[in-house]
Amino acid sequence: MKGASRRSYLISLFLSILLALVVGGVLMALTGHDPINGYQQLISGTLGLFDENGFNICVWNDRGIGNTLYKAAQLCITGLATAVAAQAGIFNVGGEGQMYLGALGSAWLGAQLSGVSPWITIPLCLLFAAVCGALYAWVPAVMKVKMGINEVITTILLNTVAIKFCTYMATGPLKTAERGINQGTDAVDKAFLFDKLIPGSSLTESIFYIAVISLIVWYLMSRTTAGYQMKLIGQNERFARFAGIPADRLAIIAMLISGAMCGLLGMFESFGLWKRFRPDFSNEFYFDGMLVAMIMRYQPLGIVLMSLFFGVLKMGGAAMQSQAGISSVLIQIIQSIIIFFMAAEEGILQNLRARRAVSAAKRQTVKEG
Amino acid sequence: MDFASIFNVSTLLNTFNTATIVILAGLGCLMTDQAGMMNIGIDGMMTAGAFAAVMGSWLCGSWVMGLVFALAVGLLFGLFYGVFVIRFKSDEFIIGVALNIFAVAITTFILRSIPGQTGSFHPATGAVVKMPSIDLGFIAGTRVNLSVMVPLSWLLVLLCWVMLYRTPLGFWLHASGEHPESLRSVGRSPERMKFLGATLCGLFCGLSGAYLSISYLSTFTENMSASRGYVAVACVIFGRSNPPLVFLAALLFSLIDAVGQRLQGVVDPTLTSTFPYLGTILMMVLLALRNQAKKKRAA
Amino acid sequence: MPGSEENTIVSFRHVSMQFPGVLANDDVSLDIRRGEVFALVGENGAGKSTLMNILYGMNAPTSGEVWVKGRRVESFSPRDAIDRGIGMVHQHFKLVPSFTVAQNIVLNCEPRRGIFYDFAAARKTVEKLVDEYGLQVNPGDRVEDISVGLQQRVEILKTFHRGADVLILDEPTAVLTPKETDELFSVIRSIVREKQMTVIIITHKLYEVMAISDRVGVMRQGRLVAVKETKEVDERILASLMVGKEVLLSALPHPDDHDDTVAVEVRDLTVKDNRGLLAVRGLSLKVERGEILGIVGIEGNGQSELIEAITGLRPIESGQIFIQGKDTRGLTPGKIRALGLAHVPEDRLSTGVSAKADITDNVVVGKEKTPEFSVAGIHMKRGAMKRYAQKLYEQFDIRGAGIDAQAGELSGGNMQKVVVAREFSYDTPVLIISQPTRGVDIGAMDFIHQQIMQKRNRSCAILLVSADLDELYRLSDRLVTIYEGRLTGEFTPGSIPKTEISYYMTGGGREEKK
Repeated sequence: MKGASRRSYLISLFLSILLALVVGGVLMALTGHDPINGYQQLISGTLGLFDENGFNICVWNDRGIGNTLYKAAQLCITGLATAVAAQAGIFNVGGEGQMYLGALGSAWLGAQLSGVSPWITIPLCLLFAAVCGALYAWVPAVMKVKMGINEVITTILLNTVAIKFCTYMATGPLKTAERGINQGTDAVDKAFLFDKLIPGSSLTESIFYIAVISLIVWYLMSRTTAGYQMKLIGQNERFARFAGIPADRLAIIAMLISGAMCGLLGMFESFGLWKRFRPDFSNEFYFDGMLVAMIMRYQPLGIVLMSLFFGVLKMGGAAMQSQAGISSVLIQIIQSIIIFFMAAEEGILQNLRARRAVSAAKRQTVKEG
Repeated sequence: MDFASIFNVSTLLNTFNTATIVILAGLGCLMTDQAGMMNIGIDGMMTAGAFAAVMGSWLCGSWVMGLVFALAVGLLFGLFYGVFVIRFKSDEFIIGVALNIFAVAITTFILRSIPGQTGSFHPATGAVVKMPSIDLGFIAGTRVNLSVMVPLSWLLVLLCWVMLYRTPLGFWLHASGEHPESLRSVGRSPERMKFLGATLCGLFCGLSGAYLSISYLSTFTENMSASRGYVAVACVIFGRSNPPLVFLAALLFSLIDAVGQRLQGVVDPTLTSTFPYLGTILMMVLLALRNQAKKKRAA
Repeated sequence: MPGSEENTIVSFRHVSMQFPGVLANDDVSLDIRRGEVFALVGENGAGKSTLMNILYGMNAPTSGEVWVKGRRVESFSPRDAIDRGIGMVHQHFKLVPSFTVAQNIVLNCEPRRGIFYDFAAARKTVEKLVDEYGLQVNPGDRVEDISVGLQQRVEILKTFHRGADVLILDEPTAVLTPKETDELFSVIRSIVREKQMTVIIITHKLYEVMAISDRVGVMRQGRLVAVKETKEVDERILASLMVGKEVLLSALPHPDDHDDTVAVEVRDLTVKDNRGLLAVRGLSLKVERGEILGIVGIEGNGQSELIEAITGLRPIESGQIFIQGKDTRGLTPGKIRALGLAHVPEDRLSTGVSAKADITDNVVVGKEKTPEFSVAGIHMKRGAMKRYAQKLYEQFDIRGAGIDAQAGELSGGNMQKVVVAREFSYDTPVLIISQPTRGVDIGAMDFIHQQIMQKRNRSCAILLVSADLDELYRLSDRLVTIYEGRLTGEFTPGSIPKTEISYYMTGGGREEKK
């Protein structure tokens, strides 16, 4: 996006977010909560406490900031995973399932390799998680490219299959013998786990991996010839084929990268917060990231920035729920409203522009006539 | 485990019951598909309908009001979809996904703001009144109780077919999808027909949701459609938007589901519950292969 | 008072139409008489179709008035236009492909029994129309299965069924064979004579104007520059009115210095179309370096499929294709290009450019992995790409908002220049060119023609497909005629007049059409 179109896009984005927050406030008020208090709790739960005036943050909330960064990293990697595929014209809605398989696969391997040096194990687990995710993305990608089967439907259905399969494994064949754990695999050896960066928060060393992956993906998408070719496929597949770009192969590769990223995120969850695979580890993480990517029109840099904002919203939502008693799903409502506005933005602007052009032309011809 | 214990009256009954959810949603989806819109937001529309039905039934103490609530909410969602996709020309995929997330979030939000309710709806006072069902007595040793919605959905399949293939209205709806300009040039707005498609879709999804929450079950649980909306979309693709074919696809899907449940003694129930989804994907693959073979054989 | 003459049926008064950025109609005033055949001629983009779309209610004019049958038009919509007795057959037919002929003819005024569509009555209605107007169609056929000529009849019957007495035909002969054109013209004459209909025909083929019309209006750049009695003018006068200057195009000499190396060879090729029917049936041809081979034919006789097969965009059923002596069987479009082929496609909006990408992206594609624009084929050199794009932008005289603007924002002619700039700058020994100047203004057309000639003179082998006979005659060294997927004759432009070659375009010289 360039110049004027970027400016109008940013203005629309700002207005959309503002409007969505207002709608969120109205919903709070309708359900008998104080919207100001609600949003204050949202900030204090993520960034810090307000002073008496209620405007400036006076005490920074380390734990909250850690959790926010953790969430932002998650949104960032899932958002970029969506974007990599979407930019090449293929929609990966199946990240959730790919993440589950990555989480289960790496946790299982991590438990098997107990005692082996982390220098060997961690790379192996990273690789395995990526392969699990990528393979599970490869199936719908091939079905789309070779047979023309709508990938949105297949990836969503495959989500359900993967989650159920992983749940079965964690409660059946791979269930740990540890006491007090109903569902979950054997614990990953302590030596392999990612250490916490901020005590009491969910932020672990995995954020460095995520930062590196994000950087690589950003570079791939916006600075390499492969990214350039993928973008052309997404914009006009006929044209890309005509120009000699191997569209099928690149679409599959984009999907493999997307799936691998989701698989890796699964591992970061298993090796970070949970120390094992638990089938309840995700609360539809992937879809949150997908929404971020859609709002930012699959622009990598925008996704990174928007992830921070949505990280605050998401984590703040949890604080809002515990402190002000407002259900955290409100955040999802706010997110989806932003999307509705942003998806309609172009249409609304076009309507306005056309109307303005016609009335301007009318004025002109009236003057002349 | 023998054949008779897998394929018996109760399996069949089960098939018809679960199929009805998909049939009704599929009829909704094919209305938008005929009008040239691929609506993957029907899952959300169903969830909203299911929630509205439970609320209506509980608040008014009558299943009729539950149905009215569900249809009203379905209508609202259909119009909403129409405004964005038709009027503002938004990407139908993005709107569909956002609609699904919005529907789950808003219903969960409202549910949780009712004191004491999380996860699913269990009212302290009053009750969710279910739709009536028809008692067919014992058939081959199994008591057969069929919701009125089951035969009604079959009737609706027939009515939709008649509407689409035997009335001018159906022609216009189809023309608005296949070649909108043909309709515009004879003086009828294709946008209006598309709106009709979106509205009908909303109504059918509301109906499907109502059946799910006040007939098939008698409660609302968060995210209760369980991706069945997507299965319905797959059935519409499979049945090429032709109501009777979509009906058959939905029956096939539900048969796999029901047989899976029958097998629960042998195979883990969590695993068998993946069968219908795998079955749907398999159906799509087979259809694609058949189409490819057909293309090769042509001429 | 509009309609000053008693038999005026349609009257435009100072009609202007402003689209964003384009003044499509500029103060047009015109009276059409009852019972005449009025031809509206002009270059592409002169505003003919816009004016007629206003009459048919597709667009409301920005200013000015339209009067029909003595009444001022207040509301512009096709529905109102139909009620006023106006019918229009658009250049691109507005028919639902999966519907039957009858369904299409009665669309939106279907006969009913109760709430149901009355199949029998619809059939009878169509049969009655067929009898009345002598336009033979089979009401039960699906539109997607019948020929373009028949589809046009369906469109015409559709307007008659709605009681039209003013019939607008937008470029009706563009897709017709000469025989079909003759049939259409005899229908037009008979409805004007026997039913007292008024016919407005939009065209840019001047001999058709002379053949069919009573009066003719010439449009140029949105303005109506002349209205004449047809018998008072000839084609030369009309042509100069259309273009505004006497000499239209610079002469293109064809120096005879081509070598005999065969660069493209097609042997016994058969290719299927999208419906799985044979579109190219055992076709063979050769193109040598330094020559332009023009393919002459009515659209839809296998030209598109032939080009797509040569460029690897469509699988071949049997036969062989050699580019620079190498068999292309099993190669992807990218690998075929690597053999030394560039391709200007017929449909620039869907295939020729990526409308959403900027001009830089559009001209660089195909070269992005070369050392000039990348480090080791991986890292993009954006700066080099932009400099290159800027160079081509100036060299090919592209007029738009600069290299960062989206290609979709360009006008047709400039968009085509982007395509030509990219494909010609590959410097390949083989060029496949389809419809290079369709919808392009005269200036851009002349520029593109000169670019093509330059390529020929630098011993490029060029295969040219065009629907424009003048273009083919002007550029080609050799011409071959194609009919139903087979070649029916080979000529040099000087050896056969345009009127005679159409005999071969319609299957003459091989077999008579059934």
